[in-house]
Amino acid sequence: MQSSFLKKKPKVNGAEESQGVRGWLDRRYQLTPLVEFLRHKEVPIGSHWMGWYYLGGITMFFFVVQVVTGVLLLMYYQPGEATAYESIRFLTTKVPFGWLIRSIHSWSAHLMIISLTLHMFSTMMLKAYRPPREMTWVSGYMLFLLTLGFGFSGYLLPWNKLAYFATTVGTNIVKSVPLLGDWLLQVLRGGQDVTINTLYRFFAAHVVILPLGFVGIIALHLLLIQRQGMAPPVGATIAPRGMKFFPSFALRDALLWLACLMALATLAVFLPYGPGIPGMDWELGEKADPLAPAYPGIKPEWYFLWEYQLLKEFPPHLFGLEGPQVCLLLIGVLFGIWAIIPWLDRRAYHDKPSPAFSDFGWAAILFLTYLTLMGWDIGARGISDELAAMHNVARVCASWTLVVGALVIVVRYWKFGGRWFILSGAALLQVALHGLAGVSYLLSGVIAVAVAAIAIAISYMTNSRTDAGDAK
Amino acid sequence: MNERAEAAPATSRRHFLDLLLGASFLGWLISIAYPIIRYLKPLPQTGPTGPAHLTRDETSKLEQNKFVIVPVSGQRVLVLQAGDQLHAFSAKCTHEGCTVTFLPGQSVIWCPCHDGRFDLNGRVLSGPPPRPLTQYLAQRQTDGAIVISEEKAQG
Repeated sequence: MQSSFLKKKPKVNGAEESQGVRGWLDRRYQLTPLVEFLRHKEVPIGSHWMGWYYLGGITMFFFVVQVVTGVLLLMYYQPGEATAYESIRFLTTKVPFGWLIRSIHSWSAHLMIISLTLHMFSTMMLKAYRPPREMTWVSGYMLFLLTLGFGFSGYLLPWNKLAYFATTVGTNIVKSVPLLGDWLLQVLRGGQDVTINTLYRFFAAHVVILPLGFVGIIALHLLLIQRQGMAPPVGATIAPRGMKFFPSFALRDALLWLACLMALATLAVFLPYGPGIPGMDWELGEKADPLAPAYPGIKPEWYFLWEYQLLKEFPPHLFGLEGPQVCLLLIGVLFGIWAIIPWLDRRAYHDKPSPAFSDFGWAAILFLTYLTLMGWDIGARGISDELAAMHNVARVCASWTLVVGALVIVVRYWKFGGRWFILSGAALLQVALHGLAGVSYLLSGVIAVAVAAIAIAISYMTNSRTDAGDAK
Repeated sequence: MNERAEAAPATSRRHFLDLLLGASFLGWLISIAYPIIRYLKPLPQTGPTGPAHLTRDETSKLEQNKFVIVPVSGQRVLVLQAGDQLHAFSAKCTHEGCTVTFLPGQSVIWCPCHDGRFDLNGRVLSGPPPRPLTQYLAQRQTDGAIVISEEKAQG
């Protein structure tokens, strides 16, 4: 029996229906509205640099590279006490281009985190999270957490010494979670300690659980972006001009991806084990040995260095809790605040400029910069006495952070007319107190927060007085 | 009047059925989640328990490096020699669980991960560790064999 559908004449509502494959698909799946939607889709050309709009696409490109190279690595990798390390060694030394695939996977992982971080901070500074795009921010935030999970779980898989201790420290942190801590630790490690059981669990997470979650959330993230379009600049109800998504923006995207691929290939070929910066190299090294002591210079990947350094800055006990517990609490609060920014930023919520939150973003960058530089031990070279080295590291890192912070403030003041610097100023005050005046890290943090709170209260009161004066 | 009287039991019956449905759904969820949660929690570690004798290999390592890390009842234990004295401590740093090492020159137990230092009684000298290292009992028997046991109380 032939359905009436197939006998349908090629004329619908008087309009000529397309022929060929397009027509065939269109009759079945009604593609015309979708094509029309894409044809009219525009990217706003606003007052800010267009470059920020490409970072999400670049991050996605690196993720695709990760999937492709990850699948290739899976063909040789064998998790197991006697095989994990050996299979990676075989892969990099014997398999034709095995070193290249592993090198691309590692480089792409680091570049993905860099582009993701830039993407996140740029959407934050441009307030792209304001209504109606709150869920785009939240889904992006979840992708950010999953990416950190990818980095952390993938790190253990070569089963070398560095990975073993980094994972020991990294997983130990969950012990501080109230009530559930011990259970979580055991579930994460597959036992009390990091053993080969941990590797099995991390392997499952790295190649199945995290990718499934990631693909699901990225689909939602992209759907939201396609449905709502990219955020126009703050205050612009209708973007003054737009760039056609197809083909203008999509072609630019593709060109950038090609450039990224070339950069990736160049880096992977000429620096197959990374640039040699601590926290950014993937030399296989020695095999993990649970009965060997940790060795000096053990550091996590560069994007976890700030947490590593923060853990070091906490005293053994604080407020009746253990130092690491308080540290985890602080990190949890900071991550929590970051997740709900769309609801905290009331001015952006009403589509007004919100300089305080731009400044908050800069303060976060300065806070992370100082901790990361210290985590890298910049300024420790050539000093044998440890205490002197520690003070010199703090001093040198503080000087660099202050220079960067001052430059940022000057550029924001002259170029962008910024007039709100309380939070970034507080971040710099903490850096100066700790690094230059020798006050403890936590005390200088408390002083900086107190000064910022007073400054905000004063500016709020003066503003409301001026507002009242204006109203009269 | 009559209608209203009839409506009341109908609503409460519907309400009751909704409750029943909700409760069974919850029960169904728990019956799925419980096995998964149990499955994920690892079994307690099995292996030899009680005092551990150092092997010849481990003893020669101890003599050579002044320390060795050995498994005792499934735990990593640092055995060290300072002068003539033998000491044994849990090798797991009380800060974030890295494996500590012994610096014979400074008579200090050191955790390289976050620069924690302990003295030869396991007490924290400097750095972020919140608690002292757990002590073990290290004994040299008359035949020269070294035995590590958990008996010694902390401190």
